[in-house]
Amino acid sequence: MAVSLVATLAHWSQWLLPVAILLYLLIVVPTALLCGFWQAVIVSLSAVVMHSYYTSRQPHFDALSNTATDPINSVTLLVFVLVALTVSRLSARVTGHARESESWGGQMHDLYEFTRRTLQMNLHMEPGPQLAELVHEIFALEAVAVFDADLHNVYQAGYWSVDPLEMAQNVYYFETTDDDPESGLGRRVVRLGTVPVGSLVVRGDTSSLTNNAIASLIAITFDRYRAFANESRIETERRTEQLRATVLDSLAHAYKTPLTAIRAASTGLGEMGHLSAGQAELVALIDEQTGLLSELTTRLLTTARLDVGEVAIHASQVGVGSLIEEVVASLRDRLASMKVAIDIEDDNQVVNCDRQLMLMLLTQYIDNACKYSIFGTTITIRVVHTNAEAIFSVHSYGPVIPMADRERIFNRYYRSSTYSNRAAGTGIGLSVARRVAQIHGGYVWVTSDEVEGTTFFAAIPAPATKRSSI
Amino acid sequence: MNQPAIRILVVDDESAIRRALRPPLVELGFQIAEASRGEEALLQLRASVFDAVLLDVNMPGIGGIETLRRIRAFAPRLPILMLTVRDQEEDKVKALDLGADDYVTKPFSTRELIARIRAAVRRVRAPIRAEDAPIEIGEIRLEPAKRIVTKRGEAVHLTRKEFDILHCLMSRAGRVVTYAKLLTAVWGIDSREEVEYLRTFVRQLRKKIEDDPANPLYLQTDVYVGYRFADAQTFMDETAAGAPEAAGPEAGHEEAL
Repeated sequence: MAVSLVATLAHWSQWLLPVAILLYLLIVVPTALLCGFWQAVIVSLSAVVMHSYYTSRQPHFDALSNTATDPINSVTLLVFVLVALTVSRLSARVTGHARESESWGGQMHDLYEFTRRTLQMNLHMEPGPQLAELVHEIFALEAVAVFDADLHNVYQAGYWSVDPLEMAQNVYYFETTDDDPESGLGRRVVRLGTVPVGSLVVRGDTSSLTNNAIASLIAITFDRYRAFANESRIETERRTEQLRATVLDSLAHAYKTPLTAIRAASTGLGEMGHLSAGQAELVALIDEQTGLLSELTTRLLTTARLDVGEVAIHASQVGVGSLIEEVVASLRDRLASMKVAIDIEDDNQVVNCDRQLMLMLLTQYIDNACKYSIFGTTITIRVVHTNAEAIFSVHSYGPVIPMADRERIFNRYYRSSTYSNRAAGTGIGLSVARRVAQIHGGYVWVTSDEVEGTTFFAAIPAPATKRSSI
Repeated sequence: MNQPAIRILVVDDESAIRRALRPPLVELGFQIAEASRGEEALLQLRASVFDAVLLDVNMPGIGGIETLRRIRAFAPRLPILMLTVRDQEEDKVKALDLGADDYVTKPFSTRELIARIRAAVRRVRAPIRAEDAPIEIGEIRLEPAKRIVTKRGEAVHLTRKEFDILHCLMSRAGRVVTYAKLLTAVWGIDSREEVEYLRTFVRQLRKKIEDDPANPLYLQTDVYVGYRFADAQTFMDETAAGAPEAAGPEAGHEEAL
């Protein structure tokens, strides 16, 4: 229309060709920008044809001299066509780039929005359903399926004509990553590093790169969810432990005063005299049982403090020989009826540790050996050194500890079925031993065999050093 | 023995403990006064004369340690026994360093408590011994002037440091000498932390003076606190009774090194 109008105007106004051509260009360039290259080509050629048509109808027209044979007009028209085509081409390209950039900008915006929303996601809930909904909503896809391999669930959003469960699982199991332009399906394995943790299947208009980015963000969200869940579990355990330790601590402290009063009263009765033999025996029984209760209370208190890390570690250079001597001396009443052998590799060896805590550990091991060893057999206390550790062990012959119990007996309150009916105990002592070793950066274990007997070990880090002098 | 009654001030915020202590102590001839707080104890000590104070470490108000410090300011020789609990070794050491005579660990037996009170009062009432006077406890005799130690009359060969340790402990027999105090006395202030080194010397010393070093009669350990040489009175009691009795701290509750 515009071309006809310009050609008509040029004809009636008898404009010179260059003026008409400039007007034609004004039409061709916007056409190229708005409609594309081929539309601009059509407009350009129409202009040439129309112009030639009107020129041929002019009254003084001399077809041979003015148009077809006029080389200036021919060249001018040819240049016009070339310029129009070039400009159209460039315009079309610029328009294409602009559209592409706009499209990328949109996708970037969507990805940014997806990242933001996943970061704000409620990690107290499973991430799968939330992720599927977010991808569907933000990227305006027809359908989305997310497979969480850890929870073994497929979560979907949008409309799926078939159940995507199998498809999503297959993507994960066969590690299929592709885009099918025909069906509009995009499949991605969701990986953390190189480890597959799920899959993503989408149907709709997205690019391959966007699908890759979505899959990566889903992997990161899965990982965050696991870390958060793990952290929450640890925190809950820690709080429970702290609460339990606080209760134990309060109880143990609350017991101390009545215990002191009972013991002072019972022993006071004994001191006052005037008791018959029967009364004296009963008073002695009260005293003895108060002592046991007191010991248990002290142990509970120490355990509670060890667990919440309230025990201050007073590490110093402790001579292995004197340590063993001290613990044996402190248990001399209990060991009086036992055969005890002490085997210390190097009497002058020192270990950097908290003497009090190590005494607790060894006391527990030896006390255990006293309780469970067969009468008449020998309890062997041994200390050997490797390059980096001092290994304390207490060996005795007694009931074999079942394989399944060898780790669990170091848990608090756990009592092996082999032992529970044979000797009094609370199931606290060995957990204290383990805690003491852990505090020193060491570890404990037990071996038990009918022929070899039972040996409790505690390895404490100890670079080989000898006693220094002052 | 026709000794005057020992007057004791029992300072503990727990009335159950005060009530449990009163009847046996009164029955055994002690005179008892009670206070439930450190502040109250200080008032009573200024108003009346006492032979010994039983002072709980954990009390509301100014607490046992501060009460001890204030008592020591005006009564440097008054025997003070601290009542402590087992897991408060630092308080025990602090109290001893501030001048407490001794401590008993809760829950204690009345017998042990009475023995400690009597020993503390006896030490204060005993005539002051000359610095160089020989010390004889049980079968051990130490002559500071000649630097000689004998056991059952036979000379015991000690190194210079071993002698110094033994002298330090025997001159304070019946009382706990904290590790830091002993190390400072023998090696000087710079070595007050070298407890392990001290333990080595004490082990050697025990081998020389004890019949059974693993079960020492003289040189006893107050675990985590220090060492205590047995009180001479213990051996006199044993001789008089004709039967052995646990020396010093209650047997079975205090471990030996």
